[in-house]
Amino acid sequence: MQSFVKAVHIYWYLVAASIRAQMQYRYAFVMNIVGWMMHYTGMGVTLWVLLYSFQTLEGWVFWELIFLFALSVLSWSICIIFFFHFRTLDQYIVKGTFDRFLVRPIHPFFHFMAMKFDIGAIGQLLFSILAFILAYSKLSLHWSFWKWTVFFGALLGGALIQGGIMVLISAIAFWTTRSERVFWVIMYPLRNLINYPLSIFPRAIQMVITFILPFAFVNYLPALLLLNKADPIFPPFWGSLSLLVGIVFFWLSFQVWLKGVNRYNSTGS
Amino acid sequence: MVSLKGNLRMYLEFSRKSFQRSAAYRFEAWMRVFSNIIFLFMWGFIWYGLYRGRESVSGVTFQIVFSYVLISQMLQGLHSAGTPLWDIQEKVRTGDIVTEMIRPYDYPLRLLFADFGSIAFYFFTAILPIYTVIFILLKPVIPASPGQWLLFIFSAFLGYLIRYCLELTFGLFTFWLVETGGVEDIFYFAISLFSGAMIPLWFFPGWLNTLAKFLPFQGIFFVPNSIFVGQLSGKEILPALGVQFLWLAISFLILRFVWSRAANKIIVQGG
Repeated sequence: MQSFVKAVHIYWYLVAASIRAQMQYRYAFVMNIVGWMMHYTGMGVTLWVLLYSFQTLEGWVFWELIFLFALSVLSWSICIIFFFHFRTLDQYIVKGTFDRFLVRPIHPFFHFMAMKFDIGAIGQLLFSILAFILAYSKLSLHWSFWKWTVFFGALLGGALIQGGIMVLISAIAFWTTRSERVFWVIMYPLRNLINYPLSIFPRAIQMVITFILPFAFVNYLPALLLLNKADPIFPPFWGSLSLLVGIVFFWLSFQVWLKGVNRYNSTGS
Repeated sequence: MVSLKGNLRMYLEFSRKSFQRSAAYRFEAWMRVFSNIIFLFMWGFIWYGLYRGRESVSGVTFQIVFSYVLISQMLQGLHSAGTPLWDIQEKVRTGDIVTEMIRPYDYPLRLLFADFGSIAFYFFTAILPIYTVIFILLKPVIPASPGQWLLFIFSAFLGYLIRYCLELTFGLFTFWLVETGGVEDIFYFAISLFSGAMIPLWFFPGWLNTLAKFLPFQGIFFVPNSIFVGQLSGKEILPALGVQFLWLAISFLILRFVWSRAANKIIVQGG
């Protein structure tokens, strides 16, 4: 227990250093935030244009889709604060600089996690909070305490699920020395996929996204519950399981990562 | 005349070299195909979902839109084999671009011909076989006559050149703006929406459609795609090609202007 407290202490110390480092380039920092807000606003506008002539996509109207979108970006922005740099683990392994994480008086996982505390995520965070508030009022939602619990559970669970996948992708580097490219090929398309209701995709894809890489728990299943929508396969209460799925999935990914570290042999360069 | 011929031979040599070099990056090429196909299916299912229970929207059937998405995704795949924007920006930031400038060739032209080489390799080894299978399996609408095929290929080529000029121009802005964060995202958004890469302009709200018609981006994918699926036919094709030509000429002139200014800037800084 004492060592855990110490680890957390060191973690925040390193995080503070990381934040100071990022704030050194004030202009770049601001442009980065503006850039991400533009990027996601562009995606929202594209969605609006897409729905203009059709009005609904499998019974989902524009603001419901924005809600789905905002929920995924919101948990993603929490995830990237802690885990976005995990995709670059392959560089450390190829260059042999990963060794230093193993010789410090802090667990290598925490140490690597503390390498960056991505405050640039404020861009995504601002956008998604704004989009969420807009969708909430446009859909005239009035949530009970229970629904707010589900909502925050989905945020935390979603961050853990996506964080787990980042950890899993980084662990691939221990075996194959590749992770950044795997990220772009797996994470990027999948994160685009979940911006649309899962029900438009074939059954096989729905199963993969629910049971293997549980992206469905990030936004689709909670949104069904929160917006009172029906799905032919999934009962609404599944939406309340996000946090549980997130914890289990992250724990499994973490175990894979530990296996990878044990297997790691330095390049020695 | 001799020097023109010699020049062309030199640039074609760049194409040949990058064609050969592409063979070394086969892993990257397959990764790109993989992600291209995922997006193809994603958009296919999105349009399928949108059309459920509807016969035609804005006078367009699902069959037409689906064919549009297919050919659009194929063209985007080809575009993606070219030099990416960040590569040019990185060259400017690190100063590597200087070594290109002091050599006895024209850099924008050299880059274009090198891209032709890598695109040709990507086309023959990945895009052509995969999309042939997809076309046979899914039976989309294809051009009915050899003339329509030719017009489509010609228009797609013009579209490529337009995007090339615009993107390289944007990349050269790095000479003045070191950090292009927000501007870059607006640029990418404009290209992806107004080129009709994912959503055909038919479905745009009236005012946005009008706006798109006055922007250079529709010449990149919308015009060739529309020719391919037959939505743009007969007498309408010629003016559309004319507009593409016009935008190509304009974006080419802008590129040359920006390039000459950039070259000057380098000389001043290097003094």
